[in-house]
Amino acid sequence: MEKVLFAHVDNPQQHRIETYLAAGGYQALPKILREYKPDDVIDLIKKSGLRGRGGAGFPAGMKWSFVPKTSPKPKYLCCNADESEPGTCKDRVLMESDPHLVVEGIIIAAYAIQAHQAFIYIRGEFVFPAARMEQAVEEAYARGYLGKNILGSGYDLDLVVHTGGGAYICGEETALLSSLEGDRGLSRIRPPFPAIEGLYGCPTVVNNVETLANVPLIVNRGVDWFRSHGTEKSPGTKIFSLSGNIKRPGNYEVDLGTPLSYIINELGGGVPDGRTLKAIIPGGSSTPLLLPHQIDTPLDFESVAQAGSMLGSGAIIVIDDGACMVWTAMKLINFYQHESCGKCTPCREGTAWLKQLINRIEDGNGRPGDIDLILDICGNIMGRTICPLGDAAVMPTESIIKLFRNEFEYHIEHKTCLVKTSYPLA
Amino acid sequence: MILSGDTIRQIKARMDRYPTRRSAILPALTAAYRQVGHLNPAIYREIARVMDVPYIEIAEAASFYTMFPKHEVGRYLIQVCHNISCSLRGADNLIAYIESKLGIALGETTSDKLFTLISVECLGGCSAAPMMQINDTYYENLTRARVDEIIAQLRTEAGQDGG
Amino acid sequence: MAENGGNTVTLTIDGRQVTVPKGTTVLEAAQSIGIDIPTFCWHPKLDSIGACRMCLVDIEKMPKPAVSCATEVAQGMVVSTTSDRIVAARKGVLEFLLLNHPLDCPTCDKGGECDLQDITFKYGTDKSRFAFPKLRIIDEHTKTTFDDKRIGPEIIRNMNRCVTCFKCVRFNKEIAGEYDLGAYQRANHTVIDAAPGEQVDNIYSGNVVEICPVGALTNTDWRYKVRVWLTKQADSISPHDADGQNIKLWYDHRRIFRATSRRNDAVDEGWICDLARYGYQFIDSPDRLMSPLIKRQGRQVAATWAEALELVARRFRDIRDKKGSVCIAGLSGGNQSAETMALFNRFFRTVLRSNSVDYRLDYIDLKDGEITEAYNCLYTAPFQIAELEQADAALVFASNFIKEHPIVNLRLRKAVRKSKARLFTANPVETKSADISVDELIYRPDTETAFVVALLHALIDQRLYKNCPDGRAMELQSRLSPSSLTEAAGICGIEVERISSLARQLASAQNPFILAGDYLTASTQRYQIGNALYNLANLLGVPDGKAIILASHADSIGAERVGLRPALSADLAGRLAEAWKEPIPDSTGLNTSQIFRAILDEEIDAVMILGANPAMRYPDGPFVNAALDKLDFLVVADLFETATTAKADVVFPLAGWAEQDGSFVNLEGRQQRFQRALPPKAEIKTGLEIIREIAETMGEPLAGDDAALRNETERLVSSWVRRPRVMDKFYDVKPAPPVGHEGYPYRLLVGNDLHHVGYLTEHCPSLIRFTREPYVELSPSLAARLGVDEAALVRVESTTGRLVLPVRISEQFDGDVVFIPNNFAAVEVNTLVSRDGGGWVKIERLDE
Ligand SMILES: Cc1cc2nc3c(=O)[nH]c(=O)nc-3n(C[C@H](O)[C@H](O)[C@H](O)COP(=O)(O)O)c2cc1C
Ligand code: SF4
Ligand code: FES
Repeated sequence: MEKVLFAHVDNPQQHRIETYLAAGGYQALPKILREYKPDDVIDLIKKSGLRGRGGAGFPAGMKWSFVPKTSPKPKYLCCNADESEPGTCKDRVLMESDPHLVVEGIIIAAYAIQAHQAFIYIRGEFVFPAARMEQAVEEAYARGYLGKNILGSGYDLDLVVHTGGGAYICGEETALLSSLEGDRGLSRIRPPFPAIEGLYGCPTVVNNVETLANVPLIVNRGVDWFRSHGTEKSPGTKIFSLSGNIKRPGNYEVDLGTPLSYIINELGGGVPDGRTLKAIIPGGSSTPLLLPHQIDTPLDFESVAQAGSMLGSGAIIVIDDGACMVWTAMKLINFYQHESCGKCTPCREGTAWLKQLINRIEDGNGRPGDIDLILDICGNIMGRTICPLGDAAVMPTESIIKLFRNEFEYHIEHKTCLVKTSYPLA
Repeated sequence: MILSGDTIRQIKARMDRYPTRRSAILPALTAAYRQVGHLNPAIYREIARVMDVPYIEIAEAASFYTMFPKHEVGRYLIQVCHNISCSLRGADNLIAYIESKLGIALGETTSDKLFTLISVECLGGCSAAPMMQINDTYYENLTRARVDEIIAQLRTEAGQDGG
Repeated sequence: MAENGGNTVTLTIDGRQVTVPKGTTVLEAAQSIGIDIPTFCWHPKLDSIGACRMCLVDIEKMPKPAVSCATEVAQGMVVSTTSDRIVAARKGVLEFLLLNHPLDCPTCDKGGECDLQDITFKYGTDKSRFAFPKLRIIDEHTKTTFDDKRIGPEIIRNMNRCVTCFKCVRFNKEIAGEYDLGAYQRANHTVIDAAPGEQVDNIYSGNVVEICPVGALTNTDWRYKVRVWLTKQADSISPHDADGQNIKLWYDHRRIFRATSRRNDAVDEGWICDLARYGYQFIDSPDRLMSPLIKRQGRQVAATWAEALELVARRFRDIRDKKGSVCIAGLSGGNQSAETMALFNRFFRTVLRSNSVDYRLDYIDLKDGEITEAYNCLYTAPFQIAELEQADAALVFASNFIKEHPIVNLRLRKAVRKSKARLFTANPVETKSADISVDELIYRPDTETAFVVALLHALIDQRLYKNCPDGRAMELQSRLSPSSLTEAAGICGIEVERISSLARQLASAQNPFILAGDYLTASTQRYQIGNALYNLANLLGVPDGKAIILASHADSIGAERVGLRPALSADLAGRLAEAWKEPIPDSTGLNTSQIFRAILDEEIDAVMILGANPAMRYPDGPFVNAALDKLDFLVVADLFETATTAKADVVFPLAGWAEQDGSFVNLEGRQQRFQRALPPKAEIKTGLEIIREIAETMGEPLAGDDAALRNETERLVSSWVRRPRVMDKFYDVKPAPPVGHEGYPYRLLVGNDLHHVGYLTEHCPSLIRFTREPYVELSPSLAARLGVDEAALVRVESTTGRLVLPVRISEQFDGDVVFIPNNFAAVEVNTLVSRDGGGWVKIERLDE
């Protein structure tokens, strides 16, 4: 299968602008500035069918087209490199290995929406990737790809690398904007959508790193080429982060629509010897689980949804029979409780209550009725929060209980675990 | 003054790059954390003065972001990921191993003030689990042997610097 | 779908059609037809954040419930507030909020007016499914639970009761622009607290207690006093400033328990300052004067009303009849009710037949006669607080705004926040408006006129004037002194470019305002500044109501309108005479400073003072005290013993505003009524009673009852005619040269402390908690030069007096300007202030 985003992932020098240029980099940008009006770029990306890689799969060109063209306010582009969804570690690889691809994508997207200021919001722990991006940005300035009058086109763009402070919620686009404005990373109600009133109250587009990295490729190689990868409704390739109980974990780029089994078995080598596959989280910790019999599900937005889950950020977490599912649910809910921004009631209070309940079941102190109580609380969170973090906490929790209710019941009844999870340290 | 001239310069340079001063709050906290190793109200006050932003806004923002310790920590802050992908590959045992190796529990600092051990949520190293971050550096695909090696190396580094 | 009208939208809520203006929220649309949607985080005057999720409603075609508080209505929308899903969602949210709530309603001061309690009764279930010990939020530093932590002089926070609606923090930052209360941490560890190591002590702090929907924020004032349902409420107006804050007094037959806001969108929009909130407490002070006093052999002793009245009546009659009417004068504080001032005026002019009456007892020494016509015109401008919202630019001049006009300040902040008004300030020291000002200009003390003249030059030089032919402008310029922009700018110490730029920005604004304040009354410039400002407003084409010198006291404008000033316009004199059915005496009346001078010149023998303390507050303490001491007969009616009552031959115990019905006329000229909450205690009498009884005892009773007086006053106030600003009229301007004093290098500014205005507030325990004692405030640089730290004692000395005070260091001060509040009985600040040149002082460190 053709690697496109990862075409140069193995070249240790790819992060240098010289290498990037030698490999055909920064050819899309001059072409755009010379031949495309901003609206043409939006059209191009619309035609390509590129969908957001940050989780929701929203069509990128469409998002850009929401930015009001006549608004006198400045416009902003934010590249979302917060990458904090458990299981997800792909943007980091792109930023480390091919930062200029991301920078070039940002410049083109910014031009399309006529932003003159763009930001890359990188999670604070990513010190090394941030340094790589910072260096790439400096190099791009030095060569005139950023700054005033880019390549003599009259178009100006400044790009700032901004690092976070340890908060998953800041990957959620409105919380990201709050954080970028210097506030606590609290999410905000929509409408107004960021495209209308985002950063500093101005029209703003937020796109994932991988989404933007696709943009120069589409410009260089055309819509038809792009659509030759993936499926009709989910064109292109996608990087999947494969983690958990798997022989060869890693980041793999495949066409969208590739069967899950191919990644798990062919690329990942299957679960460790002597183990059997128990469940798969297909799209990052926020998505419902799939069972082994669903392993042939094609990995595109529609098919995964049809299978009852979501493609999400493309983080496949493989769980084998060594894991207790109460324990798994506990690991996940502890995370969501810790990361709730605390602004809206259902998420703030609900995740905390769920955490207490699931931990008590895991600790052997569960009570009859707890399982239904959990499901009821999930119902009181789902769809009633400001941002999707509440839903993200509920979806895997509900799904695990639905699929593995017996393990919860066993815990409550026997005050102990059916499986006794303990993965040794090598 | 706690903040060094260099840190202040960094903060000021940052402020110039944003449409509003307040946007530089997080970069300022980061710069201060890099220099001092933790954050506290005295530092917020200095940042507020440098940035000409209300002190409380610095304090509020800092309190939200968990990456910055709010109390003094050891020279090396060991942050072990305990989220799902790492846990499926032995993170709990990794924590236990480091605890016994350093003779401290989670949240504690060794008596020589060299190491503080905490567990954290997903660090985006899932495909190379289990993993940890020590100060700014990621250590991935950890094994007992690798942990021994890392700790030994840091001890040597500290020793060479005179503790 | 048919749009009706264009500016309205019709929708259906719970099967009922409603038509509302575009932009209305679903919540407000529902409220407008009496459909109750429960809320916690919504507030009509705050931006909606949709956080509590209590107000969810179902809207047809929307997959998820929507927050009605932040969803705008749309044509044809179909809303349900009672669907099964919504009922369940509400129950769910309530259950979440109650999880860790301590349910300590019986001991909680919010009981009876708590949204959580009320909404739970209405929408909640009675069974708790939460089987964990309640989370007691623990302070990570003190390891104590968050039950009752004092986070400000008045405010106590109980985090366990908090529903995390963020209203308090939003009010503080959005509306008040204060930065002492914040939200910290995240998730269910979110806490509300003061800034680390600091206190919530801003001037608006009490509002957060009022808007907190639960008992998470309460105040000392109200705690453990009474349950709400055992109280009655009286509508009132704050007596402490000229803005006219609408308040409600909560009382029973014995005492007042608290004051809260009483939203009036034309004035305060429901926000009040802490002076309005806690400033009622003096009424209950144990230090109140309880009976009349008469001076016998040099000592004041308690007397009966009959004795005191008899004495006053006899002496007034004697002096009037033997020495002449001109030998008697009357002074009233600016916060007596309009009715009291009207009667006082009538008593003096018709019974004592003296025109020497005045209410201006502040730092304004009118030695050259009256303030100018231009000044008076600006002072009485038909300004409307609410109109400020439409301002696109404003110059706030010579006013520490937040101290003087807390409500105008909030409106101005709103203009900046909502309409992006460009605010400029020009003051002798930095003010709290720095955060919202485009430019904060600091002029040298006593150069107010030079500053305005510089602006005039800048306007004329750049030909930015409106409604004025070039020739006229050139001619005006030739009449200005200093004669050029450079020279004038040099005098006030501001860069020429900043003044030019200010001129450009004001001139280019569509709807600029000019507001000037109390620094003028204390400046040597006060004779000329009115002329300069008049010219400025005219050159900029600022309409009459949008350029104003703001009045200082609750009823200053009331006093003007009922004629409590020596010189009256022909119109007012005519109407007074008609109302009183008696002619106004034709003698020349004297103003406050002329009265004191006349006493020393032995031309005035008797003075009556109503609710004022000039011995402490009138400039040049030695001078005014000498005058008061010299008086043959001094009558003072007041609530407390003061330096002025101490000199009186007769002292009457005077009722406070809350002990009587009346009205104040605020700086807009808006007459607002206040109701009596309590009858005066013991032998205390109202000003009206005292005046009437003196007249009666003199055998010359004032006709008409209180109702008649009320009507008469209302008529006087509402039909008062002012000569409007003449838009093409210009005055000569010649600023008085700044006076320095050899050997006294620091310019002293005197005025209100943030939490004390006038001597009454010193009798309010809550306000005392904010500022206990007087101080001298100075700049960090001056403190460094003097070698003093915060709280060190210094001696402050002028040519007329000296004081010893602790130091406060303030970043807002720069250079050699210092400040002393004049609201503390313990220090007679006026001893430092001279009549002609304000105050120049030297400061020395006291060693231990
Ligand atoms: C809790 C939460 C966390 C998120 N974290 C990320 C993230 O780390 N990176 C990311 O690109 N998108 C993240 N998203 C999705 C963003 O809100 C947003 O949809 C995305 O950045 C849009 O980019 P795209 O259209 O290119 O996918 C998160 C969403 C939620 C609700
Ligand atoms: S203290 Fe009161 S006003 Fe403030 S967030 Fe809590 S409940 Fe809301
Ligand atoms: S009142 Fe609407 S969400 Fe709180």
